[in-house]
Amino acid sequence: MSQSATFTEPTALGHPDPSRISGGLSGRISGGTSGHRSGAGPGAEINLSMRAAVVGTGAISVEHLTFLSGRSRFVELPDRRVKPVAVCDLSPISARYAAETFDVDAHYTDLEQLLEFERPDVVHILTPPSTHVPLASLCLEAGAHVICEKPVAANIDELHALLDVAERCGRKITESHNYCFNPAIAELTQMLTDGTLGSLREVEIRIALPVTDPDGRFGDANLPHPIHSMPAGVIHDFTTHFASLLLHFTGNIRFPRVTAAWSNHSADPLFRYDNLDALMIGNGADGPVHGRFRFEAGAGPDTFTVRVYGSRGWAETDLFQPNTRVVMPRVGGSQLSPIANHVANGAGLIRNGMANLGRKVMQRTPYEGLHLFLDDTYRALATGDELPVTADDMRAVCSLIDQLLEEKTRL
Amino acid sequence: MGRAVVAEAQRRGHYTTVTTRPTSSRTRNGVDDGAPNERTVGSTAEIDLRSHDGLAESLAGVDTVIHLAATKEGDFHSQFAGTVVGTENLLSAMTTAGVRNLVAISTFSVYDYMSIGAGHIVDERSPIDRNPALRDEYARTKLVQEQLYRDFSDAGNQVVILRPGMIYGPNNLWHALLGSDVGSRFLRVGANATLPLTYVANCAEAIVLASELISQPDSNLAGETINVVDDNLPTQDRYATEVAARIDTPPTVTVPWPVMNAVASSIKAVNRHLLGGRAKFPGLFVPDRLHARFKPLRYTNARAKRLLNWSPRFTLIEAIDASVEAEELARASTTGGGNS
Ligand SMILES: NC(=O)c1ccc[n+]([C@@H]2O[C@H](COP(=O)([O-])OP(=O)(O)OC[C@H]3O[C@@H](n4cnc5c(N)ncnc54)[C@H](O)[C@@H]3O)[C@@H](O)[C@H]2O)c1
Repeated sequence: MSQSATFTEPTALGHPDPSRISGGLSGRISGGTSGHRSGAGPGAEINLSMRAAVVGTGAISVEHLTFLSGRSRFVELPDRRVKPVAVCDLSPISARYAAETFDVDAHYTDLEQLLEFERPDVVHILTPPSTHVPLASLCLEAGAHVICEKPVAANIDELHALLDVAERCGRKITESHNYCFNPAIAELTQMLTDGTLGSLREVEIRIALPVTDPDGRFGDANLPHPIHSMPAGVIHDFTTHFASLLLHFTGNIRFPRVTAAWSNHSADPLFRYDNLDALMIGNGADGPVHGRFRFEAGAGPDTFTVRVYGSRGWAETDLFQPNTRVVMPRVGGSQLSPIANHVANGAGLIRNGMANLGRKVMQRTPYEGLHLFLDDTYRALATGDELPVTADDMRAVCSLIDQLLEEKTRL
Repeated sequence: MGRAVVAEAQRRGHYTTVTTRPTSSRTRNGVDDGAPNERTVGSTAEIDLRSHDGLAESLAGVDTVIHLAATKEGDFHSQFAGTVVGTENLLSAMTTAGVRNLVAISTFSVYDYMSIGAGHIVDERSPIDRNPALRDEYARTKLVQEQLYRDFSDAGNQVVILRPGMIYGPNNLWHALLGSDVGSRFLRVGANATLPLTYVANCAEAIVLASELISQPDSNLAGETINVVDDNLPTQDRYATEVAARIDTPPTVTVPWPVMNAVASSIKAVNRHLLGGRAKFPGLFVPDRLHARFKPLRYTNARAKRLLNWSPRFTLIEAIDASVEAEELARASTTGGGNS
């Protein structure tokens, strides 16, 4: 029943971030994979009006449905490339509420019924992680492409099995590596691609969130959050972000030397771990590269910093409060560069302070990248080009997470 | 509220089964926080309404459910899960267990205050908010919850919806209808508006009376919606003065209602015309939320009195005194417990 039509894409995308229009900036910068922007340049013929369905109408569904219903403020769809036709949740009122809020015609509590009656072209799987593999398999078998929230699978064996299903059914599956698409990450990527920072030496990613707070969604002992059943417990909610960001900069390389300290500093039995300190050393395109992941539940404030070190300089941003800081050789040589760095970063701090106040008031969230990821994914699905997050990307991310959890890498 | 309802139900000779969340009756380190337990009620069950587990079983032998549970903190999705999905699960368990009578506790927050003129009476016929996108999470989730109650009623069950005003009592004397914390100060908005208050014990009595009436076959109360506020409602100033005379209250700055209303309305206009309505401001600067808390309105409890044969037992002064005394007792017992 899926309707499709072709049209000639208008030339302007009306995108808020001009850097993304030129293509490829947020793509992996080494390791040979192509950029995120597919080849659907001006004038390309693309498939109009894909029918999309959403399974799981919890917190993250708001971002997906905002995009699907054409209400995103981060991407302006020049057309109705995609139409949300149905939502599904085990809770009837949740499904109904989402459908009413986003003007979606149909709501279901049973995915199989949805697949049978709506015949969607694409299904977004936004349910708790342990349900991803069975639900994604159902959708692929029913002939739909799948956009799955992270983590798509609990380990590499599950992922391989799922990718086999996709291959057998001739459908595509992708995983949300949304933070790789945030404009702040594109900015760091650009500085590596154009040589500003020199060649990549190290990537350090730090997330600090009070996940053990008993009043928070992960610390609630009354109804333990499903993430606790994952191999890394609550930290599994963040492992895909860590791994996808590191591999975004290094390319899908392997890290022969890995060590990881998984701890539960809170000693709360609800948590498997609340703290991660991991070190990875691999061979990048330009020599050895170090990766460092830190997850902290006990040190505030909320932080998501990404710092990349190159042979010439380093740059850092915080995805929660974007403010890119760059330390590199500047005019004046080695004597004056430190001062020039202070002045340039001080001016940037003031500018970004104002910009972040504006972002807060205008409700721009760190999920900006998710909208851009979805936009690129639909574009690729429409043209048949390579997806912005490929099966190889998913394998590399999942393998790295498995590796961090292996007994032999533990500190 | 739950404790007051249990106490009142027992006073009136009812056998109560109390369900609480696992951590409500004991903190994580095992210290009893004084919530109802087997010593004080007929029976207890540890249930979290967000899960179906054990829910229908806990309703065995029950005639009437009094549904007080709601999540009032956290983001929209936490409140939706606790308040809305929790109610959905409860109603589905009631259907499974064959329990047909429900006293459903809603709130004054469901009314559409932007469309009720200043000085007008808020009663059960006042419009509820049909477009609550600008209201807070609490109002938005309680509105969906009310819809579930009405669906349950339409399905042939006996439902009475009670909408209490601001429930005050121990630990909630200085409350959100007076103003908001702004840094180290408390910003009071307005002085002369009447407060739609109900003292926790008065409200508990109305709830238990409603449960008795709705338990009867072909109850007259089925399908009714009833506002619950006390008699002789005080103004903001009078209430604040009485409370401040008895307990420590924060340093206060008062902004007149017309000023605050004008500021919030201007911000709304700027947001709509210049920012495409996309900017988000603190609740005090959002007229839809400001009006729901501080607009000068009038209230009536005539319907509650008529249908429930209820009359608020405690006056304002008695209620404040009893609340202060209860707070002092609780403090003394905590200190005593620490020493022993
Ligand atoms: N990419 C990101 O940055 C990001 C951010 C938040 C969450 N997530 C991911 O999104 C997913 C959902 O997270 P959330 O925060 O929205 O969770 P949530 O708990 O708020 O929502 C999950 C919803 O799925 C429903 N559900 C569960 N099993 C189902 C089934 N079998 N069929 C239909 N519905 C079902 C639940 O009723 C619930 O409404 C998770 O995988 C999470 O890791 C990703």
